[in-house]
Amino acid sequence: MLESAKPKGNDSLEEIAMLALEFGRLLMEAGASARAVDEITAQVASGLGAERVDLRVGYASLAITVGIGTDGITRMRKVGPLGVNQSLDQALRTAAARIEQGGSTVAESRAELDRLLRDTSRHPDWVVAVAVGVACAAFGRLLGVDWMGVGPIFAASALGQMVRRWLAMRGVNVFVSATIAAFLGSTLCGLGARWAGSQTVAVAMAAAVLLLVPGVPALNALNDILEGRPTLGSARAVWVAVILVFITAGMWLALSLLGEIS
Amino acid sequence: MNIDLLHLLHHTICGGLAAAGFGVLFNIGYRTLPWCAASGALALAVRTVALAGGWSLPAASFAAALAVGIIVQLLQSRLGVSRNALSVVGCIPMIPGGVATRAILGLFAVAAQHSSATNQTLVTAAEETLRVMFTIGALGTGLALPTLRLPARGRK
Repeated sequence: MLESAKPKGNDSLEEIAMLALEFGRLLMEAGASARAVDEITAQVASGLGAERVDLRVGYASLAITVGIGTDGITRMRKVGPLGVNQSLDQALRTAAARIEQGGSTVAESRAELDRLLRDTSRHPDWVVAVAVGVACAAFGRLLGVDWMGVGPIFAASALGQMVRRWLAMRGVNVFVSATIAAFLGSTLCGLGARWAGSQTVAVAMAAAVLLLVPGVPALNALNDILEGRPTLGSARAVWVAVILVFITAGMWLALSLLGEIS
Repeated sequence: MNIDLLHLLHHTICGGLAAAGFGVLFNIGYRTLPWCAASGALALAVRTVALAGGWSLPAASFAAALAVGIIVQLLQSRLGVSRNALSVVGCIPMIPGGVATRAILGLFAVAAQHSSATNQTLVTAAEETLRVMFTIGALGTGLALPTLRLPARGRK
């Protein structure tokens, strides 16, 4: 690390801690595992001059202690809803690796983070809806849905994705939103599959809600437990279990409505 | 072991399509999507072969996740793509979401009915719940094994 970049005094420690926490928060919200959050946050803090870095990764908050010499501070940051955004995750990792090389001031690093957030875009909603439709149709085939059921799965899951996005943008609770999207997607798929003459209507209705199954949080939950963070892993696992119940509730309503419950 | 090659090809293609579709949902860049598709295709190919060999769903899923984890770990530096993006997205088509919803529907039915069929429904729901838990556990462990470093890396 360059000597000129080494911070002096508590103000600098404050800035280092808050910038490192900002990286950690964004990584959590982008779907990173706790180990990745821990390592990347430490890269940022040590690259900016911290000699000691300790991070506590909670489900809804992060706490960091950074120290230089005999000085040290602890700060906490709230974490928002956890999602998945691999482009942002990758951009944050690249920026943290650059900061770790040293030579950047806190202000320069923050400017880089702001630029990164501005430049990292999301795919257009219609592209995501079509991709989700294709993915769920492929899931349907893997589950044994006949070819007549594939088109309805595609259309229903694409609609389900659009509904989920629309509800998320209006701040609707994620569990309620999952039930509504599952009910609408499953009902539309069931009606479409019947109209198309599919012999596997109930399985097609299940395939149409698979876009809602939280695969990344489920894998992260186990990963966190395996890597020595059972508290966070358990919290994620409980969240996954509860959202699965809400998804199934929406699907159950649709199956009952169409008389597909055996 | 008797494998229908058409069945294997079908599942491989579907695995690739599902992984690429979820790659878009997870906001993976367009240039990386072919690698996501390859990762999903590899996972489904290994799982299909293992299932055809008489392996259970959790065991076959573990083998597939381990294969994806190892290949991605080996190729990561050459591909210049995040390990997380490739290996996790590749395993998403193997998350047993269909079995999970069936298991919960079974539990709903047990809570609602009062008949002699309740026991059988409960046993089926319990079997499927366990299958989901062990399969997710197998996927996570298979993915994590190639990346676990021993001894634990020190912190500056």
